[in-house]
Amino acid sequence: MTNGGNLKKGSFILFKNQPHTVTRTEFVSPGKGSAFTRAKLKSVKTGAVQEFTFKSNEAIEELDVVTAEMQYSYTDDQDVYFMDPRTYEQVSISAELLEGKLGYLTPEVMMYIIFYNDKAIGVRFPSSVKLKVTYAEDATAGNRVNAPKKPVTMETGLMIHAPLFIKTGDTLIVDTETGEYISRG
Amino acid sequence: MGQYLMREKVLEGIRSFFKSQDFHEVETPLLVESPSTETYLEFFDTTLITASGTQKTGFLITSPEYAMKKLLVAGLGNIFQLGKSFRNREGLSSRHNPEFTILEWYRTPADYTHIMDDCEAMFAHLLSLTMGQPQTLKYQGTEYDMSRPWPRLSVAAAFEKFVGISSDQLLDRDQLAKVAEEKGYSVSEQTNWEELYHQLFLNEIEPHFSQLKHPIILYDYPTSQAALSKRKETDPRFAERFEFYIAGIEIGNAFSELADASEQEQRLRADLVVRKELGLKEYQLDEDFIEALKVGLPETGGIAVGVDRLIMLLADVPTIHDTMFFPVQDVFELPNRSE
Repeated sequence: MTNGGNLKKGSFILFKNQPHTVTRTEFVSPGKGSAFTRAKLKSVKTGAVQEFTFKSNEAIEELDVVTAEMQYSYTDDQDVYFMDPRTYEQVSISAELLEGKLGYLTPEVMMYIIFYNDKAIGVRFPSSVKLKVTYAEDATAGNRVNAPKKPVTMETGLMIHAPLFIKTGDTLIVDTETGEYISRG
Repeated sequence: MGQYLMREKVLEGIRSFFKSQDFHEVETPLLVESPSTETYLEFFDTTLITASGTQKTGFLITSPEYAMKKLLVAGLGNIFQLGKSFRNREGLSSRHNPEFTILEWYRTPADYTHIMDDCEAMFAHLLSLTMGQPQTLKYQGTEYDMSRPWPRLSVAAAFEKFVGISSDQLLDRDQLAKVAEEKGYSVSEQTNWEELYHQLFLNEIEPHFSQLKHPIILYDYPTSQAALSKRKETDPRFAERFEFYIAGIEIGNAFSELADASEQEQRLRADLVVRKELGLKEYQLDEDFIEALKVGLPETGGIAVGVDRLIMLLADVPTIHDTMFFPVQDVFELPNRSE
């Protein structure tokens, strides 16, 4: 059990008897009275998204999930496939549930796959991943007005903003939460 | 860069609008000994130390309301203020920054309906100034019809329309609890009326406002939700307060100002009792404010407007932080993982 005030992005809850993942939370103070948490919820069954505002003291049932360490294998049109490196057992997750995170998937990285009722419903990413730069523009083309950064393309197709000195072929450490450059790997 | 310079244009436009309406611009203290009593607000506090070493706890204001009302009692007439206010522990969101720019204005003799007219006229002025026409706001890919007058809806009518309940059901804790429970909300013995009211409002009513292609004025709040506003003479269960929304975003909060000193004192003392029960920081009631009301507040309508949100709309950016040179997360190193 958790409550509205402690609801975290990335957690899994039972909402109206259906399993959902929390994709965003925002604090709401409507004036007088106690605080509320507005959450964006994604159904792990249908992918449907809805907003709901919880009382901060409202009890919320967290899903009884189990996790297993697995390796990314490949992605097709709809699903992402992972494999247990010991048993070679394969599981798939709807790509929709990993929205915005597909660019962090490489076969080298072990991920925690989250299971609910024996069905894979999500992936817990490491806080950062190492990715290789496949294309970096010439340093002079960068945006020098604000922070001196330039767009670079990673091996997975992910685009991030990195310092001007980064070159094609470099390995970078990227924050999987914010998509930001952390350092050279 | 344009999105940052919109702030300059909007501040200029606000000043030129009120100057043309014969308002005085005033400045009142940001650092005070007795801040407002709202039970849901947390303050920034600090210590004032005199040269001789006397120490006093000081607070940063959450709004300049008390001081401005003292000026109204002093007979200044129509006044406005553009400045900073501070709210602690609000959490980060696209609509919140702990230090924010607030606009308050007070018109006298007037009530909240005159303030509604002011809101419409001021927004038209800002649109003309920034977009070259007063009719249409384009925000995040949607066009909003800003022509006057803006549609108006009472809180009771909103609950009737979107929740399907009467005023009697709305104002009674047990009846409202039953309605909420039937709609699938979690309700317990401890759930109080305010929680029910707000949760229904936030889930069943407010989302409709973001679907509207025009602004909306929501008026006449239950009296318990109207700390400094006057009760309606025709139905004292409600008070003369309104909020207005553009693109689903709450921009301003207005009252026909409560002038009855003893009722005001009662409400403020009740707030302080609740603060104490909640374990929030305690402080003295602003006695000068109550004294001023005893002398006599003229019939006044007043409002607080979130200027950063106004700029956000006109700059067509998704968060108020995009309108600030230095949003809080650039000033303080804050964890960004939790939210």
